[in-house]
Amino acid sequence: MKHPRLKILLALLAPALAWAAPNPRLVLPDFPALVQKATQAVTITLDPALLSLAARFLDGNDPQDAATREIIKGLQGIYVRSYTFDRDSAYSQEDIDAVRKQLAAPGWNRLVETHSKKTHANVDIYIMLDDNKAIGLAVIASEARQFTIVNIVGAIDLEKLHKLEGQFGVPKLDLDASKAPH
Amino acid sequence: MNEAVRQFTDHELALARNGDAQALTALVLAHQRSVYSLALRMLGTRDLAEDLAQDVFMQLNRNLKSIESREHLAFWLRKVTAFRAIDQLRQRARLATHLKSDTHADHYNDADTCDPLLQRHLKLLLEELSPAARAVVLLRYQEDLDPVDIARTLEMPINTVKSHLKRSLEFMRQKTPGARSSRGEDETL
Amino acid sequence: MSQDLESQLRAALRPIAPSATFEKRLIACVTDDPQHSQPKANRVGGAGWRSRARWLPVAAAACVLIGVGLQNRLQVRRERENGLEARRQVVEALRVTSQKLDLAYEIVKSQSSSFTDENPGV
Repeated sequence: MKHPRLKILLALLAPALAWAAPNPRLVLPDFPALVQKATQAVTITLDPALLSLAARFLDGNDPQDAATREIIKGLQGIYVRSYTFDRDSAYSQEDIDAVRKQLAAPGWNRLVETHSKKTHANVDIYIMLDDNKAIGLAVIASEARQFTIVNIVGAIDLEKLHKLEGQFGVPKLDLDASKAPH
Repeated sequence: MNEAVRQFTDHELALARNGDAQALTALVLAHQRSVYSLALRMLGTRDLAEDLAQDVFMQLNRNLKSIESREHLAFWLRKVTAFRAIDQLRQRARLATHLKSDTHADHYNDADTCDPLLQRHLKLLLEELSPAARAVVLLRYQEDLDPVDIARTLEMPINTVKSHLKRSLEFMRQKTPGARSSRGEDETL
Repeated sequence: MSQDLESQLRAALRPIAPSATFEKRLIACVTDDPQHSQPKANRVGGAGWRSRARWLPVAAAACVLIGVGLQNRLQVRRERENGLEARRQVVEALRVTSQKLDLAYEIVKSQSSSFTDENPGV
């Protein structure tokens, strides 16, 4: 056995090293107070077991299912909390801040920060990288009457996700036209 | 009490307690619609409803000695069915978190309904309610219980029952085109 | 259709009869439950009681077998239900994610358009 002492040292340090490694999984509360107020609430918690189960029921012959299966192949979890209200400002910034604080932790990079003065919508997109590969995605969207948090854990391919847009009933956006003038 | 329960007599109840097969059959026939319907509308699928209904009657069979009257029998059946359905729904929620959509629409379709579209619409709205609220609405509008009896059945404070009813009706009214409140609604609550 | 909601609910929530097959099965299970602790009622004609007792274990065994078969069928159905539910949730989750990514793109796009309008020729 080569370097037995090194192996023992690594084994002892493994938990500490795991703890120090960035964790793309956010702690998302169930927001019971928001559920009570919301006219519609979406709470999705898909761990690896459920993702694997879902993959078995995605039809490889259906283009959308096949594309979906492709996206979730490298994922370890998908977590969504989305609440829709019947009036403006039904939720507070405090509700969002508890999650935002976690995104200040090492490893998370804010990819996009957008704010619309017209619609008062804010969308922030965070990504966690490991060796230049995305291992986690977080999206926080706060709109006048809707509040959404998405956390995807694993190797997410944003390009593949973007390609699915039209198939989910969300119209495709002409990305070329959205490029800033230079 | 509904028509089916009136047909089941005290004498038959006494015989059923002694294990008389005919009396037990009469008991099942008198109450199966209520138990099955409650289970079906709570759980959403025929298979799960049949499973639950069977369990409830088997459990009743073992506890018939403690049933004191026909009213007690009806109360016991509703209570056990509602509690077990709520437990199952909460267990299901732990496995697969609740997704508010109309994806359960194809689980059961009732042949004997006055308006199939309305039936479907109300069923979908029912599924959006929490397990406890759903049980309250079903006990009120399927079983025709008043809030006091609902509170007793579900071991819930009366104000909580009224709150569930009020909020559920408001929610359903918002989502049902053409629906309006009855004059006496506040009185019924 | 303008109707009282409570009347609509009462009409829509009338009790539903289970299938005839289930009714027969339920009655068989309840009346032949081997764990029923109550003694069977004595009837006129002891032979009737004895013939029921002879068939009792057979009916009970049939009930158990039916129960086991049902259990397996239910388990398969439950797994399928859970799988389809998980699939629906995946689709919904990705739809929501895609929608919010698009919202971000739209905001950026509208801000770019405003910049162009305010600064023509830049």
